[in-house]
Amino acid sequence: MKITVCIKQVPDVNAPIQIKNGQLIQDSNRNILNAYDASAVEAALVLQEDHGIDHVEVVLIGPEKAKETIRKALAMGADKGTHIITEDENSFDSFAYAQLLAGYFMDREYDYIFCGKQSQDTDSGLTGSMLAEFLGLPYTTNAVGLEMSDGALTAKRQGDSGQEIIEIPSPGVVTCSNDMNDPRIPSLKGIMQSKRKPIDTISVTDLGVDLSEESTKSRINSYEEKPERKAGEKFEGESDEIARKVAQLLDTEANVI
Amino acid sequence: MSTLLTYISVSDGKVKRSSLEVLSRCNQLAEENGLQSDALIIDPKANEVAEKVKSYGPSTIYTVQDPIFKNHQNTPLLKALATAMDQINPNVLAFASTESSKDILGALAANQDAAALADVSEFDLTDNSVKAKRPVMAAKIISSVESTSYPTILTVRSGSYDLVEKSVDSEVKEIPFSFDESELKITLKEIIGATGDKIDLSEAETVIAAGRGAKDEKGQKLVEELASLLNGAIGASRALTEAGIYDPSLQIGQTGKVVSPELYIAVGISGAIQHVAGMANSKVIVAINKDPDAPIFDIADYGIVGDLYEVLPPFIEELKKIKSS
Repeated sequence: MKITVCIKQVPDVNAPIQIKNGQLIQDSNRNILNAYDASAVEAALVLQEDHGIDHVEVVLIGPEKAKETIRKALAMGADKGTHIITEDENSFDSFAYAQLLAGYFMDREYDYIFCGKQSQDTDSGLTGSMLAEFLGLPYTTNAVGLEMSDGALTAKRQGDSGQEIIEIPSPGVVTCSNDMNDPRIPSLKGIMQSKRKPIDTISVTDLGVDLSEESTKSRINSYEEKPERKAGEKFEGESDEIARKVAQLLDTEANVI
Repeated sequence: MSTLLTYISVSDGKVKRSSLEVLSRCNQLAEENGLQSDALIIDPKANEVAEKVKSYGPSTIYTVQDPIFKNHQNTPLLKALATAMDQINPNVLAFASTESSKDILGALAANQDAAALADVSEFDLTDNSVKAKRPVMAAKIISSVESTSYPTILTVRSGSYDLVEKSVDSEVKEIPFSFDESELKITLKEIIGATGDKIDLSEAETVIAAGRGAKDEKGQKLVEELASLLNGAIGASRALTEAGIYDPSLQIGQTGKVVSPELYIAVGISGAIQHVAGMANSKVIVAINKDPDAPIFDIADYGIVGDLYEVLPPFIEELKKIKSS
């Protein structure tokens, strides 16, 4: 059995961000493996350890520099990586990414495809289910737990009011929440081994996907700082006194009681 | 006439307010642009639910009625949505952002060769596309995005628009639909931890959120007492849902629920950016924390620096006095 995890290199949302002329200025040295994808890699590795999955592979679409993120996943324990190389600057949206991934998976073997449920920078959460639809596969999103028995995968999906226990036949697609696990930190041994693990490099044109103008269906025009919410009043001192004071202000000043 | 179609979210026969907010916005845009605003209900009792939606002003209420829609399952929902889109051919299909709509947004867009804009906080129309704003980078930054064509499918954050009632003579049209169990590609085996009758966290006017500081039984009791006094919903930080103290469906933040209540009381929550991403649009924020440097105080309208076990009892007592006077 083989699980392939789709991963992405993204800006660290905890790193400082500047906006200049409506564009984001970020230090690309602070780019990291998307946290949700890290959970997807971890989930695949746990299944491999517990159920003897033969292969865990990762596939990434991104510029040359993103190769370091493939190495990270290999250092965690994935067996092999594929790098679909793009130009440094591109305007792909989820629709285009999903088509590229569909082109990649079209003539390859896999049992399950895992994705992070969203990118931590844009939070769109579209690519996983788009990919499933393009490939005509069953899928579930926002998995917070995964179990395997007799080669069939059961996901626990966080729904609106409860957790849905869903069986997904193979081949299928699962998008993973970071609530599923704590991704392992690569060991020194893992990092050493990752250097000898294979990474296939292919270009967008190799995939034979026709990325015409219609393949990108949305664009980002600009960015702006969120209007900052100002701190109000901070009350310090005798607990009993300040607690009662704030309770009264909520009634008389804020009018919310 | 070209149509803006709003999907009405229904849970146990109840219409979700957030989807009526979206409908109110579509009504307004339809009026400004000379378009039609319609609604779509997909539910085992869709025709019955349609009656409750009439007072919110859609011209036509399309219904798809089948027992299969009792619980969320993406395969039948996608088939129904695709059938409806093929028949109605809307310029825009707008959803309230819920775990159910997020589950199918990408797949539906791929199926319909449509643009998708997820989790927007504002949207407007151009001649042939939708312009929208959406929070990115853990909601620290707002991005202005645009679809390149119609149809455009979008999900809208709850609390983004006000609810406006509008009386029109809505027409109800049922869309024929059939679904065979054999078409179900995935199997929903059970639903656990369903919250049932409790106040819906994402739509509550008052939210009391518990964090690490309130993790023991005494803290939980105080949070519960405050919530029941203010008729509020209880939410929690990731630390507490991960520890299994609160149900995961109560998690507020970037990965959990996004809330925008009138009053948000953060109890023992430090205010990590991932948490703030889920609650920063609350109208009034009260924070109780013993660490005076906790980042939650940077966004709180009223910050109380103190031990929650010493703060909450007099706070609750004073609120009781106010409520009874």
